[in-house]
This record gives sequence, structure tokens and C-alpha cells, in this order.
Amino acid sequence: MPKRTTPSIERPERTQVLWLTLLLLAAYVPLAPHLAWQISAFVALLFALRIAAIRWPALIPGAWGLVVLTLIGVANALSTYEGWSGQSAGAALFVSMLVLKLMELRRKEDLRLATTLIGFLAVVQFLFDQSPWLAVYLGAVAVAGLALLVDLNGGLGDTPGRAAMGIAVRVSVQAIPLTLVLFLLFPRLSAPLWHLGTDPRKGTTGISDTLEPGAISELVLNGELAFRVRFETPPPDANQLYWRGPVLWQTDGRRWSAGAEAMAAGPAGALQDASRPIRYELTLEPTDQRWLFALDRPVSVPEGAFLTPDHRLLARHPISTPRRYRMLSALRYRTALPDRAGREAGLQIPDNVTHRMRRLAEDWRSQADNDWDLVELGLRFFNREAFHYTLLAPRLGPNPADEFLFETRRGFCEHYASSFAILMRLAGIPSRVVLGYLGGEPNPVGGYHMVWQSDAHAWVEVLIEDRGWVRVDPTAAVDPSRVDNGSASRMLGSGASVRFTLEQNDAIARLARNLRLLADSLDAAWQDWVLGFSMEDQLSLLKWLRLGGAREYGLAALLLVAFSLTLSIVLLVSLRDRPRVDPLEAEYARLCRRLARVGLERRPNEGPWNYGSRVRAQRPDLAPTVDRFLRLYVPARYGRGCDPEIHRALMSLVRGFRPGVDKGARPDC
Amino acid sequence: MGLKRSLPHGSPRLGERVLESARAVILGKDRELRLALACLLARGHLLIEDLPGVGKTTLAHLLARLLGLDYARIQFTSDLLPADVIGVSVYDRAAESFRFHPGPVFSQLLLADEINRATPKAQSALLEAMEERQVTVEGETRPLPEPFFVIATQNPLFQVGTFPLPESQLDRFLMRIRLGYPTAEQEKALLTGEDRRTMLARQQPALTLEELTRLQQQVAEVHAAPAIIEYLHAILQFTRGSERFLHGLSPRAGLAILRAAKAWALLAERDYVIPEDIQAVLPVCVAHRLVASEHGGRLDEQAVAAAILDHVAIV
Repeated sequence: MPKRTTPSIERPERTQVLWLTLLLLAAYVPLAPHLAWQISAFVALLFALRIAAIRWPALIPGAWGLVVLTLIGVANALSTYEGWSGQSAGAALFVSMLVLKLMELRRKEDLRLATTLIGFLAVVQFLFDQSPWLAVYLGAVAVAGLALLVDLNGGLGDTPGRAAMGIAVRVSVQAIPLTLVLFLLFPRLSAPLWHLGTDPRKGTTGISDTLEPGAISELVLNGELAFRVRFETPPPDANQLYWRGPVLWQTDGRRWSAGAEAMAAGPAGALQDASRPIRYELTLEPTDQRWLFALDRPVSVPEGAFLTPDHRLLARHPISTPRRYRMLSALRYRTALPDRAGREAGLQIPDNVTHRMRRLAEDWRSQADNDWDLVELGLRFFNREAFHYTLLAPRLGPNPADEFLFETRRGFCEHYASSFAILMRLAGIPSRVVLGYLGGEPNPVGGYHMVWQSDAHAWVEVLIEDRGWVRVDPTAAVDPSRVDNGSASRMLGSGASVRFTLEQNDAIARLARNLRLLADSLDAAWQDWVLGFSMEDQLSLLKWLRLGGAREYGLAALLLVAFSLTLSIVLLVSLRDRPRVDPLEAEYARLCRRLARVGLERRPNEGPWNYGSRVRAQRPDLAPTVDRFLRLYVPARYGRGCDPEIHRALMSLVRGFRPGVDKGARPDC
Repeated sequence: MGLKRSLPHGSPRLGERVLESARAVILGKDRELRLALACLLARGHLLIEDLPGVGKTTLAHLLARLLGLDYARIQFTSDLLPADVIGVSVYDRAAESFRFHPGPVFSQLLLADEINRATPKAQSALLEAMEERQVTVEGETRPLPEPFFVIATQNPLFQVGTFPLPESQLDRFLMRIRLGYPTAEQEKALLTGEDRRTMLARQQPALTLEELTRLQQQVAEVHAAPAIIEYLHAILQFTRGSERFLHGLSPRAGLAILRAAKAWALLAERDYVIPEDIQAVLPVCVAHRLVASEHGGRLDEQAVAAAILDHVAIV
């Protein structure tokens, strides 16, 4: 195809402007929820103006109008975020400037720039969200942007839209190998890029390090994932899945907190008689807290973490990115006995303990033969008396334990755990409250368990003389089905989120559940294979390639080699892809190239015969071959039909044609 | 050149024969003669734009003699009436009926001299006849003779009392050529040579009518390869997208270029078109069809060649 050079009018077409506007809108939509509403309002205003201006071009503001709009946009972004530091403020400022560009689409050049910036807008969004769905969506936006760029460069025949899209898709597919190479080998920062922002993480949900009435029942309504667990040994029963988190020693009668003892760093007491080992890999969603959850009780310690004396697993830094670690836990164990200080911390009694609470504890003490007997008495108390397990617990006053034990008797796990622990302390048995999760939903699609925020739980550990710290779950005493069901919230009825109220045998519900499981396992795979691909993984890849010693240099060398290899493969394939080029034309092009090397370049608008005459005039020595070639080529190319003989003859002519530089040649050609 | 491939009937030699004879009368105008002949072989009408006295009439007359066609000439003036061109019905007393007296348009080769001096009404009478190849007088349609060529001349200067042809009318002419002054040598040869008038009178036809018809047929049969069509299309597209012209070339212009290129190829004794054929005929085929967006709208051949051919690549 003659591809020329139309110095076409650089004014963009209306469809191209519309295309760009819609593209920008599509690219902005997923970002909108992450930015303040003022930004979206400004963006919406300019979009509306742009769309209206397609119909009434007079609406486009002039230079002064643009200056005013720019000032408004900047002021809006700066005042909303009080400055421009932080990723939200930066993104807001960028988006405001980008939509302003919509007012300035005078030339195709402007559209090209804006389209390129949309690509940047797409990348910026990964600072806020790294889900696979967003990646797919923004990938589609990027391909559409590519198509617009193709269209802007023109020359696409009668169906420019479809042709441009086709080219864009083809180019994107061709880019996949290179993308893979870059993904695998491009040196990683040790922290992902999307945490370079200085924004404080807002609203990370999850267990906190204190416990108050209502704290966990709020979490139960949360539909977010806490972590995923892939068991390497057969998973234990659902009622054994106590995921241990923060340990609370200190209480003021209403609020439980970690307490001084917990802060004292010291060597963790080794477990004695640990048995029933469970091996698993846990991928924790970001919590912005330091603790790592582990099956009760952790035996091993993952890298970058340590075990406290009360067997909490603490990371050295807050978990701000998904963290994957392998663990070994023992379901059966016996802890070492604590020293005096530990014992005293476990016996701390709040000031607001009431008389009837004391009497209840003393009552139990007098009935029980030993400590464990007393614990069982306590559990039986919860079981026997009319205690209700409900999410809709009544609001409690300044002394929630007393109120709950003797009056309302309706509560959630935090009520049971905290009041039981206080009662044990009153009876002289050291106790502490443990926060964590209980259970986990198996995902047969992905082959792992999902633990949701709604599985949050609180239980108690008591110190028994010859057994060490023993886990006691007073909530389980009330209603064993709660633990057996696996999911803490399943039986909560109207209060729980919708997904738990669906009837399990309903076909639609089953489908919905399966889809949810599938979606989650896709998400997990994305987490594992794409987002989680780290420098360590790269180095292990190098090690596998026996280049481990070279480290970063090896990576760079490998990147270079793989890059050029991929490029040459793509090049080869695309060259082989073009047999449709007229073979005669190819031979002619080769002849022209050979002649160009000696300074006889064919002008683009020079016909073969005129070219031949010029060559003949300037280099009579080359005339015989060129003449013979043209005498065969011209009729074959432009006449009716060509027989393969001629092609072969041309080929052999060109092959033997090696024009040398003519010493006497005039230098101007 | 050696590029030539002989044609079935050996007929291209005929074209060469015509040109040979023509060269003896009109000196040093080989390209123009060739273009004029190609125009007639492509069944097109020819517009010659030049100053008086450079040989326009001689060229037209010469072509008529060489092709053995009967020849008429109308001098266009501002008082020319359509009937002066087409003919008029006169009452015949003996036959007691109206009898049509055909005008000069009923000849095989018509020279319309200074066509831009006549009123638009008279111009359009001729131009309609050119397009339709027939005239309708008083409800009766009469076909024009076959072949039918018009060679029109016009003065390039904008003079008082001229009616320049509108673009839509100019489109009816396949080519517009200029003759220009002869070179010094040729002019001296002309001055010392025989009187052209007597030479013309002596000139014998170089072709029979049948041979002419056959040549015209062969022009239509000349092969245009896909690469040529592609090139021509690129040219048309270029004129449509270019800022240099007020509007691009019409599809009719594209067909005209192709027809002229085929005739040009045939005169070069080829039965296929090469890009050089297109390039050779393009300036004379499009210069009168395009309006430049600058320089007062007028384009000469060189300007067209520079504006179009330099910007469209041959692949």
C-alpha cells in the first residue's frame, strides 16, 4: 500500500475526541472511590463540558477561561487534601490536570498526549488497588487507548475503528512475551511500589489490640477476608481451628488491653510434649499491626518475626502488604509455668468487681477439688444458666461483666471471654484473654481455607498448675454448635451479612457460593503469582538457573539476553508472517537496496523505468544487469500474470548483483 | 528500450506511423503530439490552452488529416448561437416539410476555436453534445458521427468579453495541453521551411477508420495491474486530503487518468500500464480539474506534478 505522507490536517475528528473522552471516563471510574468527592465533582463538571462541547464547540473556554479553570482545579485538589504530598493528593492533582486537557484538544498532537497520560492514570490506580479485576479492566482500557493512538496516526481505510482496534489487540498480544520477560526479570524493589506513598492506610479492618464489649460483634458484620491458609498436613477439625492473635492481660473491668507483662520481651518458653504437628502456609491480608496469626500454638517462627513469652507471634514491622509465611503448630502441647510476675499479671483484678461476682467465684472455689474442677464448674455455669449467644447484645453500663453475668445474660464471645476470665481471677486462677479467629471456610476450588473477619473470636487461657496455660472457650460452653459450625456468624440470623442467610440447598445460593469460592481462588492465585512475586522469588529463579551467585548482575544479564531473544523471536515470527508481499516486489526492493548502497537510492515516486534510466545514466557499468532485471520485472509486475520462471530469474540476478562504489561517481547522488 | 512486448496485430506501429507524419509538420512538439493522439485514442476531448499563433489550429487540422476524419471548425464568438453549433431545421418548400441542416457539430473532428469567447449558452450546447455524443433538436435525437472528437482551444489570458469555462464543464475534456513556443532551432526551421498550409493539404491519412477503431479498442484492453490501481488510488486520495487543493479529484477524473495512461502505454507499444504512464498523463489530465487553494486557484502542469507526484510514493 502506498503509505504516504499525507500532511493531513492535524485537526482531530469528532469521533476521536469522543473516544478520548469516554476512555478518560472509563479510566477514571475505578479511581473515583479512592479520591474525595470534590475531585470527582470537578472531573464530572469538565466531562459534562467536554461532551456538550462536541455538540456546541463554542463552549470550549478560551485561554483566560482555561487559566481560571486550571486555578480552580488546582485549588480544589490542594484544599481537599491540604497539600500535595501523599498518593491521594498527587493522584487528585494529576486527574484534575488531565481532565483540563480535555478543554485543549485542538490538534491531534493534544490527543496523542492525552491518550498517553491516560496510560499513566491507569498505572496510578495500582497504588490504590491491586486486584486482578482492576488489572483486567485497566488492561482493556489501555488496549482501547492504543487503538485510539493507532487511529490518530491514520491510514486505516474504510473501517478505521475496527481496523484500529484490530491492530491494538494484535500489538498487545505481541507484547505479551516481552511483558513476561520484564515481569520475571525486572529487578524488584524489596517493597512494592504501591507502598511508596506516604498515605496512612485508612480504615484497615481487623482485630485490634484491645477488647471492649461490642468490638468483635462489629467485626462479624464485616465481609472482608482476614487470611488464607493452605494446609500441608491434613487440616484439623473445624473446632480446633483457633487462630491465635493478641493476648490480653490487663483489664479495667470494661476494657481489656495487652498489659505490662506482655510488653516485656523475653525468650519464649518452649512447649513441652508438643504433638499433633500441623504444617501450613498462611497469607495474611494487610492489618497494619505487628502480630501474625498462627494456629494455637505456634512452634516455628517465620523469618522477620519472633515469639513472645506468652506465645504471640510478632513481626518486626507492621504488616502493610499481604504477608505469606509457612508455619508449624502443635495442637497438643504443655506450656512452661510462668514466673511470679507472670502469675501476678494473670491475677490482676479490676476495681469494679461486685460483691455477687466475688461470691460466685468463692462459691465455685469451695465446691471444687482442684483448679481444673473449678474451670469446669464455671463452664457448666454458662451452660446451665439461661445464657444466650447473640450478636444483638444489649448495651451494657460501666460494669459490663456483672451486668452480663447476672442480668442481661445475652452476649457475644467478648462478653463470655472477659467475664469468664475475671471470674477465674477472682477464684485465684491466673487467666488471660486471647483474640484471634475461629474456624475457616474450606475453598475446594483453590484447595485452601478462607478465614474471614467475621470469624473473629475471643477466648480465655487459664493457668493450671501441672498443665501450664490451657485454652478454655466459655462461648463454646453455651452453644457448642457455634464452634462446630466452623463459621462464627453462621447462626447469627438477621444480624449477619447476607451471604450467611442464604439457604444452602438453594440452587442459586449454591451457584453464588461456588462463584464466590472461584473468585476468591482467582484472587488468591493473583496474590500468590503476580503481586507476591518478589525479589526472593527472582533470586530463587536465578538459583534454579544456576546463576545464583551473580545476583543482581545475573538478573540484569538474564534480562538483557531474554529481552533480545524474545524480540528476535517476535521479529522472526512477524517476518515469516508476511508472505503476502508480492515476491516480485520483494526482489525489486532488494535491487533498490543494493543500488541505494552505492548512492543510487530510488526516490519514492520514481517508477521502475525512470529509475533504470537514471541508473544507466550515472553508472553505465551497472546498466546491463539493471536493464535485464527491469526487462523481466516490469512486464511481470505490471503485465498480465507472472510465471515463476521469471521470479527465479530475478532472484538469481539480484543475488549476483553486488554493485561496487564507483570511484568516479558524482557525489551528489 | 527493449521493454516492448509486441501486440497481437502489430497495430501499435500504427500510432508510431501517425506520430512520424505529424512530427514532419509540427516541429519539436513530440510530447504534445503524443498526448493529443493518446487523448483521441482514449476517446477523449482535448482542450488546448495557449496564445494565438502557436499552432493550435494546425495541430487540430493535422490530426484530422492524419486520422482521415472529416473536419469542421467553429470560431466561437460572443454572438454565437446554439443553432450555429448544432444545426437548424429549415422549411423545405419542395418537400413541404422542415428539413434539418446539421451544424458543424456533426463532424468527426470538431475544432472549437476560442471556446471561452462564446456565451455560456452556446458553450453548453457544445459541451452537452460532447458528453452525450448525440444532440436533440426539436424533440428528435440525432447521434453524432463515430468517432467524434472535439479539440477546443482557449486563450489563457483573462480578457474582456470572455466567459471562462466552469470546472464542471472543464471536466468534460480528458486533457488540457499547452503547446508553447518552439525552440530557437525549430523556429528557424519553421521559418525557412515549407508553408504549413500546403503541407497539411498534401497530408495523406495515416490510418483508416477501421484501424483507428481498432486502436481505440486496444486502449480499453490495456492491462492495469493491481499495483497501478493502488498507485492511482493513492493519488486520488492524496488530492482529497491535501490542503493545496480546494477539493480533490472526482472518480470521473480517476477514470480519465487511467484511460489516458492506457492510451499512453499503447503508444509506447505496451499492453500494460506502468507507473510512468500515469505520471506522464497525470499533469495534463488533472491540471484543469483542480483548483489550487493558493495562487488564485490556477494550476499549471508543473505545479501539479510537483504538488502530487512528488508526494505519492510508488510501491
